[in-house]
Amino acid sequence: MTDDDGVYRRDVLKASGAAAALGLGGGEFFQTLVESGDGTGPSNRDSGIESYVGQNEVIQTVCSPNCRGKCPIDVHVRDGQVKKVEPHPPEDEQYKRACVLGLSHTQRVYDPTRLKYPMKRTDWSPDEPNPDGRGPDAAFERVSWDEALDLVADKMQSLKADFGPESVLFHVGFGNYGQSGTAFSRLASLFGSTQPASTIDTNVGRGFNRVTGTGFYLPSTNEAEDWENANTIIVWGSDLFSSQFQMDASEVLDAVENGAKLVVVDPVYTTTASKADLWLPVKPGKDVHLALAMMHTVFEDGTYDEQFLRQRTTGPALVRKDTGDLLKSSTVFDDGSDDQVVAVEQGSNTAVELEPETDGPYALFGEFTVDGIECETALTRLRDHVADYAPSEVAEQTGVDAENIRTAVRWLATRGPGGIAPSYALGRYKHGHIFGQTYAMLMGLTGDYGRHGNIHAHHSGGATLSTGGWSTPEDADPGPSVRFSDYPDAMIDGDPHKVRAVYSIESNMMGNQFPDRQRFREAIKSLEMFVVADMHHTDTVQHADIIFPVPHWFEQEDIVSSWGSHPHISYRHKVQEPMWEARDDYYAIRGLAERLGFGDYFPETKRELLRELASRDDAIDFETLSEQGTQKKQNIPIVKFTDAFPTDTGRIKMYDDDAPSEEGVTFDLPRPLEDRTADDYEKADEYPLMFMQKHSRFRIHSQYEMLNWVREVNPEPQLDIHPSDAKARGIEDGEYVRVYNDRGEMIVKAKYNEAFQPGLVNTDQGWWSRDYIAGHHNDLTHNEVSEVGQTMAFYDVRVEVEPAPDDVDTDKYEADNPRGAGADAPRAGGD
Amino acid sequence: MTNYGLVIDQERCIGCQACAVSCKQENNVPMGQFWNRVLTEGGDKIDTPSGGYPEDGGSGSLDMEYQPTACQHCENAPCVKVCPVNATYTRDDGIVEIDYDKCIGCRYCMAACPYNARVFNWDEPEQMPEEGTGDVAARPQGVVEKCTFCSHRVDEGLDPACVVNCPADARIFGDLDDEGSTVSKYINEYETDQLLEDRGTDPKTHYISGEMSPGRPQTSDKMESELDDVSPWSDGTEDVPSEAGGSDSSGSGGSHHSIEGDADPHVPAVGSGGDD
Repeated sequence: MTDDDGVYRRDVLKASGAAAALGLGGGEFFQTLVESGDGTGPSNRDSGIESYVGQNEVIQTVCSPNCRGKCPIDVHVRDGQVKKVEPHPPEDEQYKRACVLGLSHTQRVYDPTRLKYPMKRTDWSPDEPNPDGRGPDAAFERVSWDEALDLVADKMQSLKADFGPESVLFHVGFGNYGQSGTAFSRLASLFGSTQPASTIDTNVGRGFNRVTGTGFYLPSTNEAEDWENANTIIVWGSDLFSSQFQMDASEVLDAVENGAKLVVVDPVYTTTASKADLWLPVKPGKDVHLALAMMHTVFEDGTYDEQFLRQRTTGPALVRKDTGDLLKSSTVFDDGSDDQVVAVEQGSNTAVELEPETDGPYALFGEFTVDGIECETALTRLRDHVADYAPSEVAEQTGVDAENIRTAVRWLATRGPGGIAPSYALGRYKHGHIFGQTYAMLMGLTGDYGRHGNIHAHHSGGATLSTGGWSTPEDADPGPSVRFSDYPDAMIDGDPHKVRAVYSIESNMMGNQFPDRQRFREAIKSLEMFVVADMHHTDTVQHADIIFPVPHWFEQEDIVSSWGSHPHISYRHKVQEPMWEARDDYYAIRGLAERLGFGDYFPETKRELLRELASRDDAIDFETLSEQGTQKKQNIPIVKFTDAFPTDTGRIKMYDDDAPSEEGVTFDLPRPLEDRTADDYEKADEYPLMFMQKHSRFRIHSQYEMLNWVREVNPEPQLDIHPSDAKARGIEDGEYVRVYNDRGEMIVKAKYNEAFQPGLVNTDQGWWSRDYIAGHHNDLTHNEVSEVGQTMAFYDVRVEVEPAPDDVDTDKYEADNPRGAGADAPRAGGD
Repeated sequence: MTNYGLVIDQERCIGCQACAVSCKQENNVPMGQFWNRVLTEGGDKIDTPSGGYPEDGGSGSLDMEYQPTACQHCENAPCVKVCPVNATYTRDDGIVEIDYDKCIGCRYCMAACPYNARVFNWDEPEQMPEEGTGDVAARPQGVVEKCTFCSHRVDEGLDPACVVNCPADARIFGDLDDEGSTVSKYINEYETDQLLEDRGTDPKTHYISGEMSPGRPQTSDKMESELDDVSPWSDGTEDVPSEAGGSDSSGSGGSHHSIEGDADPHVPAVGSGGDD
């Protein structure tokens, strides 16, 4: 802080300031100063504000949590310290973005929750695991990396010898979009361990897949740059301006600015709803009814896209009245195939095979007899099916005004290209896959596939590095998969086989992201070894036996897939060396591989690994990627669904004769099926309130929970509750409440909020145990999944709320600490 | 003369807090203090609407909007008038700034400011990380501080941090005296409001509400006046509405591709987008 001549500027200015201040209080002094101010005030460059602009070293890297962003960012370093983060425009600079979380890494990188050293639970040993020592009171001791890796490898080997390699589960979450997971899966495949099968957020996509042949998580949709071409955007169950699409909010806003109609279907008046032309306040669980009413309107108005239906759907396909099966080409024609279906030509009533992507004068509606077989078209079946769902009929049930239902779908059907952007929230109801099926068919009716301006999900597909099967070597003998939701059964009951040890990376699931938390904690207690690698001391880490400290993203070199985001691959350059003894996941994976006898399968350094993986993707050049920091994958289509659909017929299925069924309901056509949202659910009286855990702009799952800047805005978990529900229970605004059901409880502060539908309460997800006065939101959620959807139904939950007991200790939020619960010091930081 | 001002399009603002946090980071603002607050116009609390949840299935009366609020850099700044030691002053370019070395902590300016835009360091300021962040030095205990329009950046031809980091392109910074600048065009084109206009403070921060503007896409941290092309992906077309073409909405937003709704674009096959 010196001027060129070495005089401390601050002291000089202070002296003059003091002199000027001498006259303070003099009657004429104010005026004198004010009048002379303009003439004698400091110049622009002599303000006493010391600027460091231009003094920073700027390193381009990428923020890469499991959110939609994967935002390329610039990290400013000065005096050996990260000073700030700014967005960096990637190769295609219209994808420049960042959010409040990514901009706050400056704090995350130095947060006290960072893990510093490899640790071992004090009372754990390979032969005497002392499982009861796990949990909130567990104590840890520092060990060397070699010691930690030896312990883990030896235990894995002995379990493999005694119980087979599948007794070890290699669990990987989605918390780090680099390539560690690829190496992790490779080791798992070589070892033969059990590997995870995701049952989170796969519901809507599975339903969509039954219709279109694509989708697992959400279906792919046109890349963000194309959204501005939409004329109607129906955002369904998504607060996309707060979550997932936030970084690309500008694209939707541009569409609206261009004249697009924005419709929001949500039981909550969200930020996104506040921007909408029309908001449909649907009741939880009634989304399928609502979508069927929209189909009804399209049929009634005759606004379906005839040409699209003929060319790209099975709408004209004939359904046999005797069996309910589609009439197959092989039944009608000697040289017909078993896959292809049959339509009749309008007028001549001649049967013809329906080729993919082929237009023709096919009859869309009607009953026909072909070779003596009585049939009707698939579209006829669908039209008759939705006849029962007139908007006026479902208005009361769905909670949505009938005319508004019609208006929304009329905009979609008649205003040119558009689409429906659902979120994962619909899939967080048990039978959410039915919504996926329904809206996929609705957009088939309106012809909204394959065009600019079409939208099918609330985030786009982005780009993923193709690693060409590197995670499964040809000579490996991979073990079985177990669904997330089946983990407790496998660990506790040995069903389908006993899991005795878990090695977990990139995941805070066992402590936070999985539902029915107490059941998962019980499952952890049945393990002989629980190894957790993480950046931070999460709830999951607190339950570990061995802790591998992983560096912050800024301390790991990696290649980042922009899954669900933008069409680039990004290079995560190191900003600084790992602090303390934190080491990249690859260090541990390779260290274990060497000890387990698979060392030769893994390149010696991370850089070599990245070169090897990049070489397998023809659209990526390692040097270009590394130098530019981002490389746009030119083979990523901006507009999706332009070719034949990957279904048997190459067409969208408007009727599914091979549909699965559950609970006595078959999904040949979209048929509503509800679990806890059903009006006659058996415990509806006992637990009258539906409970959701909305994604907020303040956390990505449980990541970023610790950011102090963000916690100043959003300090503690709250229960959003409509004032009428609160008052009926004697709950004051801002009072602590106990939220409970037959699985557990949590104690949080009530927040009166008119945005929430009466009967629906919410606590934003992502809070850790330490943030609650008691319990956790996932003590209330359950682990029941539908057989067809196979997705954890976090929002399909009922609770009751009452004022918290008088004796709860709420000190952590009342100790004049603007940052709330950050107060609880982490236990296993290592110092 | 240069006269800096800010346009905030409330129709575009999504209340994401990126500007609020960017400001804290860039300006080394102490914990517990904000120079830039994202206020909710609606209910009593952040992110809550006014009105009542509809009982008839209609869209009802709920209403919510966000109002980012920082120093308004008033033309007739009351804080400048009351400062007894000339610590708060207006620069030649219109930015209202505080000389922290002169500030005696009397807080007359805080009482005078109708926008509650100033904060006072009652205690020794605390930063996280404690060495501080951003590109300006921390201020000492006992002084008042506030938004400077990032004058330390502006002096180097860079936009304020809140503008660069807005994901909704809702914040536009520029020279109000330059009729060709985006801020000037927007103020002419749209119904813009100044906060508490009746106070006669004449703020240089203008808010658009009621009609959405195209925003100003940021692909650089540089100020508009430092760029050859306002929107680097605009293919050379005008990115801001001209007064002549004001009512023609298709004339605005040059970055928007014109594609016929029914065109069937020829693009490669769909990859499986993100199932792994």
